[in-house]
Amino acid sequence: MATLEQPLKIKPLPVRKAHARRTREDYLRFLPWLFLSPALAIYSIVVVYPMVYSAYLSLFRWDGISPAKVFVGLQNYVTLFTQNEVFWIALKNNAIWLVAALLLPTSLGLGLALLLNLKFRGSAVFRSIFYFPAVLSVAVVGLIWTWIYHPDLGLLNQSLSAMGLKGLTRNWLSDPRIAVYPVIIAATWNAVGLPMLLFLAGLQTVPMDLLEAAKIDGAGPIRRFIHVTFPLLRETTLIVLAITAINALKAYDIVYAMTNGGPANSTQLLSTWMYFLTYNYNTVGQGTAIAVILFSLTLIFAIPYIRLMTRKT
Amino acid sequence: MSQALEKNVYLPGKSAKVALFYAALALAAVIWFAPVITLVLTALKDAGDFAVNGAFSLPKSIRWSNFTEAWDTGVKNYFWNSVIVTGFKVPVGIILESLAAFALTHMRFKRADRVFTYILIGLIVPIQMTLVPLTLLMNALNLIDTLTGLTLLYIGFGVPFGVLVMRGFFRTIPTAIIEAARIDGASYLRIFFRIALPLALPAVVSLCILDGVATWNEFILAQIFLRSDELRTLPLGLVQFSTQFSTQYDQLAAAVLISVVPIVLVFLFFQRYFVSGMGGAVK
Repeated sequence: MATLEQPLKIKPLPVRKAHARRTREDYLRFLPWLFLSPALAIYSIVVVYPMVYSAYLSLFRWDGISPAKVFVGLQNYVTLFTQNEVFWIALKNNAIWLVAALLLPTSLGLGLALLLNLKFRGSAVFRSIFYFPAVLSVAVVGLIWTWIYHPDLGLLNQSLSAMGLKGLTRNWLSDPRIAVYPVIIAATWNAVGLPMLLFLAGLQTVPMDLLEAAKIDGAGPIRRFIHVTFPLLRETTLIVLAITAINALKAYDIVYAMTNGGPANSTQLLSTWMYFLTYNYNTVGQGTAIAVILFSLTLIFAIPYIRLMTRKT
Repeated sequence: MSQALEKNVYLPGKSAKVALFYAALALAAVIWFAPVITLVLTALKDAGDFAVNGAFSLPKSIRWSNFTEAWDTGVKNYFWNSVIVTGFKVPVGIILESLAAFALTHMRFKRADRVFTYILIGLIVPIQMTLVPLTLLMNALNLIDTLTGLTLLYIGFGVPFGVLVMRGFFRTIPTAIIEAARIDGASYLRIFFRIALPLALPAVVSLCILDGVATWNEFILAQIFLRSDELRTLPLGLVQFSTQFSTQYDQLAAAVLISVVPIVLVFLFFQRYFVSGMGGAVK
């Protein structure tokens, strides 16, 4: 009997153990989701779901109010490309803006970073001065620059007059042929800080002995930059280019604050024109179609960026 | 390179070169800072002085009342609305983002990479892509024209950047520390609050500052989802202020300056965190 009892006593134990281990494993597998769920839930509801739903809405003709949505396929996109002149102005302005953003803030940021990475007395003060515009609200930047460009009282025209260049003065923001450029300059003033900061961070990773070795080999500062520093900044450069491109396509506030798309729609961007079509003209289908086009353009720059960010795992 | 140039700059006999270097840099800095200087000068002078002498001249007499008048005309409301929204958004956001980032780095979790990629998409989505459905959603939830609704949106849109920064920092915490605590029987939640979060304090501070500044400055969501004047946040209120009082440059400049003061203070006191925060986002 004793021999029979023993296995009976032992048997249930391993069963209970296995069961306990399974629930514990289930729990451990479930736990990360518990940690993730608050962030994932609000992010999915506020960002991801609306994004998908926008793409769906772009296939309908809808005024945003009436319950009736009419499915029109790709008609909204066709209308934009063939019958909407302002769409083309906006697309062109986005292209100009993008090129300017890839050239100006990036090169200025790199130049300033190289300069301010030198250890001289007061370099921290200069860093603060050049970075400062980046912490301002873009809407505030727009307001400040609207005064700078004021035809009579603005700093720009007054400075030009004072330097004897009165011929160059003009009503910067009221001339449809050029109005987009002053806005881009204002945006650049705000956009230089970030690349500067990223390049400064990147420069800290360039090993000093490499530069010393190049110097001993007789390489001057320019050759040291081209052959040593810049190749080592390759990854930083890629990130800077991607971020500035993505930010350039996101531009909205500054145009709204400075020109509100005018004069004569000459400073519309896809982002501002989307707002007009959706909220002023109640053509929600076309508005969301513009949003989808804008997002697709962003993806061109964003996919390499996301690859870069996730690859390091 | 910096050492080499440092030597150059301080070599005796090259003082002319040093002076030239500083002069050029100072000139560039003044041109770069001219818009801010103009703003400050405009805010300090009265409208008549501005109309006669323009923006870039020293004020004849300092007129502090510009600030009190701007404050009473509505900036007070905008300011406190911004304080409320930022004050709620930043701490709540950071807790959610850190919990998520911790799960992605220090818990055994097979799909971490995929979830992280899913979250990163949010960094690149143009806000326009979400506006129409968000309007419908906020309408259905009766959250249009409320600071609560706006704060919820800010928390949602803040998730990608916050997770990116916190994940970058959590990855530098050695797994051995977490494992040791596990073996000692600590739960993950306890490890998170007692070990990971305190170790990540520099990242938390960086994120607070970057996030605080971004929230303080946000414009487009506030523009779409706040309708009544008394609920406007600062950037939105200022743009509105500028269309209403387009000729009163002195008061407008004072209003803008008031909105900038908290940012300047944060910037001056926590400057180094801007660099480390951005560094965390990239690494």
